[in-house]
Amino acid sequence: MTRLPAIVWRQLGGVRLTVVVLLLLVVDCAMGYWSLRGNNTVFAPLNDVGLFPWARTYGMNDLIHTAWFFTLLALLFILAINTFVCATDRVIALFKSRSRFTRPGRFALKFAPHIMHYAVIVILTGYLSSYLFSDVYPSQTLAPGTAITVPGTRVRLEFLSFDYQYYEGKRLEFFEDRVLSPEARLKLSNGVTERTAAISLNRPVRYEGYGVFMKNFAPKKRGRKNISRPYVEVSIRKDPGVSFYFTGMALFSLGLVMYAYQWLFVKAHGEERQ
Amino acid sequence: MSSQQFLYMALIAYVFSCAGSFLPRGKRWIGALALVAGMVLNALAVGLRYWYAWPMLPMYWGLPALPLCMGIIICAPAIGETEEIIEKQRLAEHRNALALIVLLTLLTVLFPRDFYLPFLRSKTIFSHLFLLCGVVGKAFFFLAAARAMAFLLLTKANADNIFSVRGEKRILRCVVWGFVFWTCSMFAGEIWSYIGWGTPVVWEDPAITMTMATWFYYICLLHLHLTKTWNIRQRIRYTAAGALVTVILNCYSDLGPFRRPF
Repeated sequence: MTRLPAIVWRQLGGVRLTVVVLLLLVVDCAMGYWSLRGNNTVFAPLNDVGLFPWARTYGMNDLIHTAWFFTLLALLFILAINTFVCATDRVIALFKSRSRFTRPGRFALKFAPHIMHYAVIVILTGYLSSYLFSDVYPSQTLAPGTAITVPGTRVRLEFLSFDYQYYEGKRLEFFEDRVLSPEARLKLSNGVTERTAAISLNRPVRYEGYGVFMKNFAPKKRGRKNISRPYVEVSIRKDPGVSFYFTGMALFSLGLVMYAYQWLFVKAHGEERQ
Repeated sequence: MSSQQFLYMALIAYVFSCAGSFLPRGKRWIGALALVAGMVLNALAVGLRYWYAWPMLPMYWGLPALPLCMGIIICAPAIGETEEIIEKQRLAEHRNALALIVLLTLLTVLFPRDFYLPFLRSKTIFSHLFLLCGVVGKAFFFLAAARAMAFLLLTKANADNIFSVRGEKRILRCVVWGFVFWTCSMFAGEIWSYIGWGTPVVWEDPAITMTMATWFYYICLLHLHLTKTWNIRQRIRYTAAGALVTVILNCYSDLGPFRRPF
């Protein structure tokens, strides 16, 4: 019985399990493509309502199109465990054999794949936290001079002004007189301090742990008479997963650079000398 | 001239280039010249579409740019390539790569998807990086497959000699480069997703699942190569199958309805 945990640990970290899970993930993601095509409205609310409420409603009511997603979660869970066990085993073994390395740089480069492995777990944790613990206030509409307060907080957003840059040139006829860069100036306050900030498409604002993202705006075209006042539609999100998955991405990139350097230059030149 | 017309001409030049690679050694410069001409025409087609859409991202631009990118990699000096290989192998790899370039250009010409307008949210450096790194990654995956096919054609079934080891290293190097660029593309896409939509995944675009599938496929390949889980021929077959997998997973979504070229 005492050997059972060791056997389970070894099986969980096996490369055969990695290969099987990865191949199943390829098939599952490909099936996801066909399920998402034409049915993306089923998945769009996932970003706003979170994983469990979505699974209880949209997810369970349209299993034909969502089964791949539940399978994806299960496979990613197994992959995360497999990655952790495998990387931990190898890191321990690497530390035990550190006396074999005469150059500290070469020893450090050996950690590259393990950094990437741990980074994958950090990224997956970030995604999971994002879908489990985010506070999302989607589709808040603001007109100039109006303000909203984030529920349960003293964070207040006031829409001050709107500035547009129009599409210049004649290359795309459709875009003539259309707004290319909408920019809304907001006054952000928490009851104690306040500051102004500009948001645009692809340029969110972070304040008191909340991210404010521009979802929509009006007017979209120069001289449109049917819209009396400009407005912006924003979504406000407090997402604890963001720092995790950006940290994971930075770690993965570091590991990837170390690995590519080792593989493409150190190994190649080492063999050349031999 | 339109972007599509430049692509037709690029296709013709690529066909000549592929045919030129079968000429005797002294006349192969004709094929090389045709390849350069094809790349110039392809660059004009791609550049024109980019010019129209700038500063936004041209939609479904990846497939027309792919043969150009493969051509550039073929012509560029290979970084870190220290293995000496026989002329026969180099030629087989070159022919396979050219055949893939012709096939991909033919797909682009017959099934163009050039009728979508760019969208405002693509006006960020990250959308451009997402596409560009993705194209370079795919080009390396196709070149790895071209090398793998040459390896399978030239080596005997039970070969396990220095030639096999060198061949596998050359293939794996392409896969590593492809994986680096593909990962950069995915990360650029994630940053774009966050700054544009505030979410880690944009479910509106089903192609995201195909990007993930390709990433998992090549992670699996790297694990197979590095841990030597399968034997060398099985691993090389898996790499060669990568071309088909990449076409199905990543090029299919860039194809439009059939359009007669002339």
